[in-house]
Amino acid sequence: MKKFWALFFIFWPIVALWACWVAPERHWWFPVFPGTGTTDAMSPLGERIDGLFHLILGIVTVTFVGTQIALGYVLWKGAVKSDDTAAEFSHGSHSLELIWTVVPAFVLVFIALYQMDVWAEFRVQSFYPDQTVQDGPQLELTARQFEWRVRYPAPGKELKNQPQPDDLYAVNELHVATGRPVKFNLRTDDVQHAFFAPQLRLKQDAVAGLIIPVWFQIPKAGNYDLVCAELCGWGHYKMRATIIAEPAEKVQQYIENLQTAQNFDGVITTDEE
Amino acid sequence: MLVQTQKYLTTSLAVIVVTILAGCGQSGFDSEFATSEHTQSLIREAQTGVGELPGVTDLVDERFGTPQDLQAWTRLPIDFGGTTGRVASAPDASAAVKELTLEFDEGTSIDFDPQKTLEIQFITGAAAPLTAVVSSWSAENRVASLTTALEAAPAAGDVIVLNGGEPLQHGRVLYMRHCAHCHGTTGDGQGPTAEYLVPRPRDYRHGVFKFTSTTAQDKASRDDLQRVLRNGVPGTYMPSFVPMLNETELHDVVEYVRFLTMRGEFERRMVNELAADYSRQAVETRKSGGESYNDIVKELKGFLESDLADSLEFVSDDLVTAWTNADTPDAVIVPTMARVPDSPDSRRRGRELYLSSAINCADCHGIAAEGNGPQTTIFEKNPVTQQLYKEPGLHDVWDHVNQPRNLRRGIYRGGRRPIDLFCRIQAGIKGSRMPSFKNLPHEDIWHIVNYVLSIPFEPEPGHGPTPSVSPAAEAAASL
Repeated sequence: MKKFWALFFIFWPIVALWACWVAPERHWWFPVFPGTGTTDAMSPLGERIDGLFHLILGIVTVTFVGTQIALGYVLWKGAVKSDDTAAEFSHGSHSLELIWTVVPAFVLVFIALYQMDVWAEFRVQSFYPDQTVQDGPQLELTARQFEWRVRYPAPGKELKNQPQPDDLYAVNELHVATGRPVKFNLRTDDVQHAFFAPQLRLKQDAVAGLIIPVWFQIPKAGNYDLVCAELCGWGHYKMRATIIAEPAEKVQQYIENLQTAQNFDGVITTDEE
Repeated sequence: MLVQTQKYLTTSLAVIVVTILAGCGQSGFDSEFATSEHTQSLIREAQTGVGELPGVTDLVDERFGTPQDLQAWTRLPIDFGGTTGRVASAPDASAAVKELTLEFDEGTSIDFDPQKTLEIQFITGAAAPLTAVVSSWSAENRVASLTTALEAAPAAGDVIVLNGGEPLQHGRVLYMRHCAHCHGTTGDGQGPTAEYLVPRPRDYRHGVFKFTSTTAQDKASRDDLQRVLRNGVPGTYMPSFVPMLNETELHDVVEYVRFLTMRGEFERRMVNELAADYSRQAVETRKSGGESYNDIVKELKGFLESDLADSLEFVSDDLVTAWTNADTPDAVIVPTMARVPDSPDSRRRGRELYLSSAINCADCHGIAAEGNGPQTTIFEKNPVTQQLYKEPGLHDVWDHVNQPRNLRRGIYRGGRRPIDLFCRIQAGIKGSRMPSFKNLPHEDIWHIVNYVLSIPFEPEPGHGPTPSVSPAAEAAASL
């Protein structure tokens, strides 16, 4: 029976390892995004975040395999001993304690240092790409139970934190230019929400009372999902929007159409009149 | 020890499996259309009928069915979907009818898929309102074979519908998933989450929607309902449902909402036909006047026998006309002139009109447009019960306090386009105390629109720079 339990506990780590190994090709982790047909990150920063993810995955895998082999070895060794063998008590080994404290500490410090530039570019304003500083925020995105409201400045104007008379409004649809860093202001009208664009690997909480600048860059034109990643109430599931990345001229065209639509006065003038 | 562990594991696994399977069952949730409080104010006989004669609930159920088994009352201007056709030739009535030759309008094609059920519904003729399932379809000679023989033989020219009611059925599923928890199964605005919301979700059963592009006397059009689903209602809990719902789904939800609205309105109007004589209150009064309950019921029986048909005809005609008209171009408000260009002069004129005694926006919205005019502190009388409301303020037809909008906040529930504001003034806000100013010249409405759109950006009274007017301009204005 002892051997059964030893094998039982050796068996499960092998299953776990196998599942992790086949997960990417069977799409057991990230879903394949419709539209792009791939699980890859669709932004340069997202690729670097994926790089960090894979690095940590590697470290964890090596650690997991190592510890499981050690555990299995100890279990099996105990299982094959006869019942008459007296138990041996050890009061610890100073050098072993040192090793398994210092080695993980080095690994953690390494990760902490290695990820710093990605983190800074992702979250620290002074490290945002220069162009986001030059261009300023392109739009203001306000999360609200249970929708995303967008405010664009009028064509040729800059976005102000206070609403302006000629601002343009849209719901659940963000149009942004491709191929350049785009910065926007994230706010919330009520409770805490989170901006989550899975294909861009971008997640940022929207906190009441704060205006949070967020940036991303999308090289490829297309529609990308935006969902809420902070349980915000009964309608959390329906808080979905589309990020439409398209060439800058098309974004300009969209804004102009939005302006025409928003100034519609109900009178349709035809050229014949 | 091990045996025990294994037993324990097996039991818990079995429990989990059973729980999961039970959770997947379709039968767990049966909904019903509850009888409205309005109907419940009638005496029992008026609700459920006398003997064989139908009461209000029977009339409603017969025409609209239950959530699980919706009825298509084809008189209503609802898109019931399906393919309409006719019986081409009368089948031999002496034998059991198992085959039918059908004809359709030109350009209509029938895709028969043996995997899917194809249903024939008889709309007119002897076979109405039967339904039958088609077992095979021959496209060449347009003959449909039925799985079972018909109980009555249709005649040539009888109208049939293939797979009708799909938009409504689909709309119902979407409605129950996304809307019912606030708006309620019957559209009474009393779903489980409704009590946490201010303002309360719309109760459709009055047949009234607030923000429409149609004239004061018209109902909401399909476009109006779609616009609300697309844009949500800012300042309320109604969110936007795009991109979660696609175009077909939006259409189907709108049709189902219209179905619920017409159902509620039909119920309400039929109750109104009876309420004067047969509400619990009226019957109490009559009893104290010396009439016996049996006599009253006898009188009700007489009414149901002889006058009900007329009432029914009147109410349904009205309903059909009103909801059909709402979708005609005539119902849409079109200003006779383009928007007056926004200018300080136009805004000033708008402000004058806002304060003028004839229009008197300030009476409700307040002099500073903060939604706090003198009318907001009065005690109103409930127009139905003739009793004072317990709380001060303006009330809507749903009996909720509905205070005038604070125009300084820049939140426009019905939309922020100039035409939206124009419609709010021209047609009023239906169901609320915002009246229609349909006789106001359109130019004046545009001035008010320009002023209202400028209010959120005005400095607050007593703050910021005062607009400077040059003495020359002042002199010119006074001439």
